Amino acid sequence: MHILLRGRDIDNIKQLAVYEKHDGFAGMKKALAMTPAEVIDVVKASGLRGRGGAGFPTGVKWSFIPQHEPVKFVTINADESETGTFKDREIMEENPYQLIEGSLICAYAIQAKAVYIYLRGEFWDIGDQLDECIEALREKGFVGKNIMGSGYDCEVYTHLGAGAYICGEESALLNSLEGYLGQPRVRPPFPAQKGGGLYKEATVVNNVETLANVPYIMSEGADAFKAIGTEQSAGNKIYCVSGHVKRSGNYELPMGTTFRELLYDHAGGPLYEDRPFKAMLPSGGSGPIVPLTDEVLDTPMSYEDCANIGTIIGSASIIVMDETVDMTWVASKVTKFFKHESCGKCTPCREGTYWLDKVIDRILDGRGSPDDVKRIADVAENMAGTTLCALGDFAANPIIHTIRHFPDDFAQHVQS
Amino acid sequence: MSDTVTINVDGKDYQVAAGSNLVDAAKWHAGNDIPVFCYHPKMEPVGMCRMCLVELGSPARDRASGEVMRNEDGSPQIRYFPKLQTACTTTVSDGMHVKTNTQEVIDARNDVLEFLLSSHPLDCPICDKGGECPLQNLTMRHGPQSSRMYFEDKQLLEKHYPLGDLIFLDRERCIQCARCVRFQDEVVGDDVLAFHERGRRLQIITNSEPGFDTYFSGNTTDICPVGALTTTDFRFGARPWELNEVPSISPWDAAGENISLSMRLDRDFDGKAVIKRVMPRQNERVNEIWISDKTRFGHHFTRSDDRLRQPMMRTGGALRESNWGAALPALASALQAADGDVAAIAGSSMSNEDLWELRQLVEDLGGSRLGAWMPTQGGAEIASEVGVGFGTNLGQLGRGDAILVIASDLEEEVPIWHLRLKQAQDRGAYLVVANARHTRLEDFAVQGARNDKVVEGDAIRYGAGDAVEAMRNLSADHPAIAERLSGAENLVIVAGAEGLTLSGSQALAQGAANFLIESEHIGRRNNGLLLTLPGANGMGLHYLGFTPAATLDIMANPPKALIVAQAELLDDDPVARSWLSQVETVIYANLFDDGISELADYVMPIQSFAERDGSYVNGERRVQRFYTAQGPIGQSLPAWKLFGGLRQELGAGHLKPSAAAVMLDLSANVDSFTGISYKELAKVKREFPDVGGRDQYYGGTAYTNTGGLGIQIPSASDKRKGRRPRRVGGYEQPSLEENEVLIMPVTRLYNRQRNFRPTLMLEPRILSPFAIVNADDAAAMGISDGDIVEIVAGESRVRVRAAVSEEIAARTVALPRHLTEEAIPLTVTAGRIRMVAEAIAAGG
Amino acid sequence: MAIIGNSKYEERINHHIAKYETKRSAVMPLLYIAQEEYGWVNQDGINEVAQLLNLDPTQVKSIAGFYTMYSEKPKGVYWLQVCTDLPCALQGADDFHAWLKEELGVEEGGTSADGMFTVEHVMCLAACDKAPMLQCNFRYVEDLDQNKMRELLAKWRAEAAASMNGRSAE
Ligand SMILES: Cc1cc2nc3c(=O)[nH]c(=O)nc-3n(C[C@H](O)[C@H](O)[C@H](O)COP(=O)(O)O)c2cc1C
Ligand code: SF4
Ligand code: FES
Repeated sequence: MHILLRGRDIDNIKQLAVYEKHDGFAGMKKALAMTPAEVIDVVKASGLRGRGGAGFPTGVKWSFIPQHEPVKFVTINADESETGTFKDREIMEENPYQLIEGSLICAYAIQAKAVYIYLRGEFWDIGDQLDECIEALREKGFVGKNIMGSGYDCEVYTHLGAGAYICGEESALLNSLEGYLGQPRVRPPFPAQKGGGLYKEATVVNNVETLANVPYIMSEGADAFKAIGTEQSAGNKIYCVSGHVKRSGNYELPMGTTFRELLYDHAGGPLYEDRPFKAMLPSGGSGPIVPLTDEVLDTPMSYEDCANIGTIIGSASIIVMDETVDMTWVASKVTKFFKHESCGKCTPCREGTYWLDKVIDRILDGRGSPDDVKRIADVAENMAGTTLCALGDFAANPIIHTIRHFPDDFAQHVQS
Repeated sequence: MSDTVTINVDGKDYQVAAGSNLVDAAKWHAGNDIPVFCYHPKMEPVGMCRMCLVELGSPARDRASGEVMRNEDGSPQIRYFPKLQTACTTTVSDGMHVKTNTQEVIDARNDVLEFLLSSHPLDCPICDKGGECPLQNLTMRHGPQSSRMYFEDKQLLEKHYPLGDLIFLDRERCIQCARCVRFQDEVVGDDVLAFHERGRRLQIITNSEPGFDTYFSGNTTDICPVGALTTTDFRFGARPWELNEVPSISPWDAAGENISLSMRLDRDFDGKAVIKRVMPRQNERVNEIWISDKTRFGHHFTRSDDRLRQPMMRTGGALRESNWGAALPALASALQAADGDVAAIAGSSMSNEDLWELRQLVEDLGGSRLGAWMPTQGGAEIASEVGVGFGTNLGQLGRGDAILVIASDLEEEVPIWHLRLKQAQDRGAYLVVANARHTRLEDFAVQGARNDKVVEGDAIRYGAGDAVEAMRNLSADHPAIAERLSGAENLVIVAGAEGLTLSGSQALAQGAANFLIESEHIGRRNNGLLLTLPGANGMGLHYLGFTPAATLDIMANPPKALIVAQAELLDDDPVARSWLSQVETVIYANLFDDGISELADYVMPIQSFAERDGSYVNGERRVQRFYTAQGPIGQSLPAWKLFGGLRQELGAGHLKPSAAAVMLDLSANVDSFTGISYKELAKVKREFPDVGGRDQYYGGTAYTNTGGLGIQIPSASDKRKGRRPRRVGGYEQPSLEENEVLIMPVTRLYNRQRNFRPTLMLEPRILSPFAIVNADDAAAMGISDGDIVEIVAGESRVRVRAAVSEEIAARTVALPRHLTEEAIPLTVTAGRIRMVAEAIAAGG
Repeated sequence: MAIIGNSKYEERINHHIAKYETKRSAVMPLLYIAQEEYGWVNQDGINEVAQLLNLDPTQVKSIAGFYTMYSEKPKGVYWLQVCTDLPCALQGADDFHAWLKEELGVEEGGTSADGMFTVEHVMCLAACDKAPMLQCNFRYVEDLDQNKMRELLAKWRAEAAASMNGRSAE
């Protein structure tokens, strides 16, 4: 059953009339009949956790917003730049009204003045489509003044980024939206606090997929949502599968489905029959890599279970590699990504990503020594935990974990 | 809420100010220098460099009860963050525990330094910052022993990138701390520096036109924690460890910036000590740690070839070089010959000691007229009554306070006040700028430093020459503004003299005083009047009895003998030549010859602030002393010694052995100076932020104040509260005939005054002569922007470029002083303007 | 031309400025407009955006330099950005990218001799299941191979030639 990728089940759900016919805005209507605090309670009770990567409980995040503040904002993180992630794109392309409805419910729950949808720059045509949706909703009285006759006013706007992964980090996103460099801010204050959010006002930042779940939660109830998935990981999740599988693409499945089911039953198993799976990055470039052992394959895809195998589910961008892939090359690819995307604001990340890339190039070139492998492991360790935002940790992961799990792949380059 | 909290640093408890920054608190109270690069106590923390990582914990609280959880021995359980935290972004809280000496912290410091050095050149011996570089210092203390970065992997970047005329950037040295960017943005409010690109390619750029061109740019080279930013003045000029620091005071304006002269023996200067650079010296009440570029770069006059070197006397119609042995007796008898009709005009670069000896000399001879130059702004006596209260610190003004700046272009007149008041507004103070034309501070008043910041401010534009009326009628004309000003917790009014005659400026000062008195903003710290009196010692002139009124009297009724001391009459006043020619004996004591040698009978070389000891009284009435830094130029004498020597020659007392002795005599005889001595003036105490010690905060060692913080003379209202407003005296303003406009002399910071001209590096930034003409007037007179116009007022006739503007009152022409070769009228006057040549077409 | 006072952009500029709480926030959308007008973010565009938003040109330049979708150099008629990030690379994107550069005779980031194509590689574009793929003037072109690409290049060349002729005929 699709809660999010309903575009696959219902033709033209991206048209407002069709969306409305299929329960569109039922959740919003229900929400408007409740007090904002009640809406937050429902979302809390549903167990929904953020789909942007960190898995923070969504209702709890909303409840941090100080109610008495006169100006508040909702910002939707549609920056979707994590390597291997393409789920938010499908939601916005095929089921845009559900995202907008979800964000309006969030806006109502915190009594926000406006919603800003921060799209990665490459999504400009999605932005155009969303702008059309917003206009259609405005004409119906669903956006703008006195939404659905409730007396609540809220604007919805789109904003295009321009090619910077770091703008997916919430405080960098806010800076970028304000017209500053997309570099992370010092926290506290956090976005939910006065002084930390958009224009220094308390702000909720949520991922596209997170908010797209909200209309369902409101219309079907918290329990219905909680019934899906596992104890600590409620609901469906979209898994973006790419790499060496037969059928790459998005799969919306309950949380807690095993990797095996996803990769074999849905994605069709290894791309080439004679080349078994070797490793997987379950959360794009940023999470720890794991060898695709049976133990790993049988692990349920949930926040809690992935911790047991030393990785995270994060945004669930699952990049699969078969046995032909050299993990030194993978480490290099991912390092180049982070070197390119480091915003440069803090020392360990700025210098570390540059340095790591230089040394890995040396190793891949055959000019490296076993010391160089130790060196990059050490440099990566020194980066981890000392940076201003998590990008520094992300950048350390590919080095630390590929070396840990696949030492031979490195050794082969530095032996001769 | 109590004002202090207890924090534990490395096992010891300290009481620290609540709300303070952890880095500052640890340094101040625990003597623990947490190393920093990006953090700077004068700017918002940004947590960029990660050098200040510490272990941080706070008392654990029970989730349910909120009670502090305790160990068996009753001590609170401390819960530490799992990761190291940046101290610079941490505000202290009660019970906070900080560990700065654990292996984890030591490793983290080492790691961050290794990261920084991985792309930093390792050539300290040839770097301008070598020897006073935080990166170097911290590497010695915390850094790795050797580099693990392959040398050929290092990035090669531009080494000599000019950010503007004055500042060069070495891109390889820059550690991306953003201090320079933040200084321009937060402190100056002129965000002409920024980062470009990202990641390891992140670089400082400017894309402004002209480039990095503000009056404060040099400060970035001080706060840059590495040698990435250098000034064209000092660049590769000397090694910091060869320099000898001499405390001094800026000779330029009423702020009295505390400075340090970095001296070195110089081959190009006969092996004598010369000023290699000028650095700020911390005085939180006066200039904090900032100085203007004029103060920093304007020192070249002290060793200019144009300095007067020999005493000269007119014999047989010609001025001939002489020596003191001959000159002093001759001078003495010439003065005596005037039969008591002796007067003096003194400029505001004269020290208190000079003025005291000069005054006594005139009085000994039976004269009484002591003129202050330039006689353009009055009201000093009013400032001595209701001037800013004892202990005032403009750096404390903020939310709830208010500032009115009237008839002044503050950035051009007293840049440091501009900077500090603009910052007060950033902190929430309400800033009102009133003038007949647009000034830069007005921009801040109206829109703030950044377009996304809500600021409190208003601008008032009044008509030609109407400052006094605007002040007097403030409550009637602008009730809302007046109410906010009078209702403010603290109120400072800064009054200038733009568009006013001398009597007008006096009336303005009185009007401002009345507003302060009526709204009860006098006799208290951070309240009261400030005047932008020209020069460094405008208030000193007042306290020693030199007045602009006496100058006007001297001009109207020239004496037989006139001593002109450090006053460039001919440069400043188009009619000086005519009235000076009526003086029988003109005695000219100065650093430069402004052409007066044609008229003078005696030309006496005296010394600049850099060559002798002395003291000035700044606009806030703070007496501050400066010290001898370089040897004398030629046979020049300190002015006090010249005048004291003359008195001795005349048998009226003994020449004092030192400036200190003159000060003792002065303080024994002039009430305002009671209790002031060089010893008292030299006293220092530790100021916050603490920039001295082992220098972990700043990239410069010249900051520690060892020369003294000075002593503020109390105002009359500091001593007895509750003054009554006085009638605003009658004043004259020029009346305009048809076809006439008001010619309003205004000040430009960079100009062609004698003592500024030798600053060749700033010459390109001195504007070619211009005048701001009201747009409607210009249209009516057929004048277009850029046309050459002639401005005629009385004996003054100058040709300048017209700058047509809507931002100036009708029938008003703002004419900057000291840009033209010819003197412009001394104060505001009626005049005519006409077009003489069309603008040179663009590209032509 | 210019973007200030250009009726083509007026409405969009006003829309963007109105959208935010501060003028400064509109710097990114306005930079896109400047890039549209001039083909790249040149100094004129920077100055105009600065003027419209009451910013210092340094600030605008800084923003233009941080984000990769603003080009501070002129580009070919078609700006081809090939994703060579890990997922695409696993599907042969690196080889495809190398082939494309050879086909057009350009270095990384360079423009073909006829001024038609600029080729560079970029990080993940959220199209990992449709590799190899690229962005042509910010328009996604997915599921590529060499044959498809050759056809596209020919088609784009023809389109460009047509519009050139159109222009000279005007
Ligand atoms: C370097 C970095 C990049 C990130 N990129 C994204 C992103 O592209 N999309 C996203 O939704 N969250 C991203 N995040 C997570 C956000 O910071 C934030 O946690 C999220 O938007 C919160 O929304 P959620 O609670 O709905 O997940 C990123 C975080 C980091 C540190
Ligand atoms: S130039 Fe100096 S002050 Fe500016 S960012 Fe670089 S290191 Fe910091
Ligand atoms: S991060 Fe604290 S001093 Fe730089």
